[in-house]
Amino acid sequence: MSLAGIFVVVPAYNEAEAIGGVLEELRRTAATIVVVDDCSTDATAAIARAAGATVLRHAVNRGQGASLQTGIRYALTRGAKIVVTFDSDGQHDAADLAALVAPIRAGRAEVVLGSRFLEPRSAIPPARRLLLKLAVVFTRITSGMRVTDAHNGLRALSRRAAASIDIKLDRMAHASELMDQIRRSRLSYAEVAVSVRYTPYARRKGQRGVHALRVAFDYLVGRWVR
Amino acid sequence: MTNFQTIGLTIAAILIAATFAAAAARAINRRAALVWIAVWIAAAAAIARPALTMTVAHFLGIGRGADLVFYCAILFMLIAFFYVYLRFKRLEREITTIVRHLAIRDSVADAEAPPERSSR
Repeated sequence: MSLAGIFVVVPAYNEAEAIGGVLEELRRTAATIVVVDDCSTDATAAIARAAGATVLRHAVNRGQGASLQTGIRYALTRGAKIVVTFDSDGQHDAADLAALVAPIRAGRAEVVLGSRFLEPRSAIPPARRLLLKLAVVFTRITSGMRVTDAHNGLRALSRRAAASIDIKLDRMAHASELMDQIRRSRLSYAEVAVSVRYTPYARRKGQRGVHALRVAFDYLVGRWVR
Repeated sequence: MTNFQTIGLTIAAILIAATFAAAAARAINRRAALVWIAVWIAAAAAIARPALTMTVAHFLGIGRGADLVFYCAILFMLIAFFYVYLRFKRLEREITTIVRHLAIRDSVADAEAPPERSSR
């Protein structure tokens, strides 16, 4: 399957340890890779450049939401047909890309959300499973979106969807914000089963459960700071 | 007039004048200036006529005038804190817009003139 016109946006902050492997995996898909280096202090940018990715660098650390929006905006200026968001810590599987973009190509959806809960492919730690399920309930209440996995970094947006989305919450609350915007812009969406690898590295780098309250607070405040 | 009243009213007068000056210089907008002047006048009134605070306190069902002043001060600070918080959030968004603009602009410049950049 050809992946021309597909831009994979990889937000990265101090991911020198993992990003090389992630980009190596992505390169085999022949999609255009855009790494948004969120002012890393390690070799992230150099590794990404060596791997042949386009590297956008934030002059100041602005967070994952901000990085995603930078990458999406850039992809649109370069004529992207589909924009995929892909985490830089190695938790996603590049082999899921083809299935992820299929509904958009077939014209069945404008937004495709990866879900680790649709099929039992991932070994999700129990505490994480509980937290993610709570997040799904939270999303259902705040956005009215009936999804099975609201906080998966692997998603695909059609060009139209990417152009109508404008992430304003710079840090981790962007996932919930994105749901709101999908709903508000009346973008059709679908969920596709993907796997999430819980490597020791990804677990160490990933969000801790206690951060969830902070994220929820940021999100609720963000809803009415314009 | 007690010494406290002299000092307090002098400070209130200076603050009112400073607020007017700031508004005239467009350092703060007219609405903010009105809020601040109202605060200074209320403070001046409470200093000049302490009995006034007692009347208002009794009207609201608060025991002492001093308690009323204390509650008002805390309430005002909480509102001011929240307002500053919102301003701070907006400022953060503006910074992000600039950072994003620079990141995209620089990458486009790199793509158009790679040899010059890499020879440095």
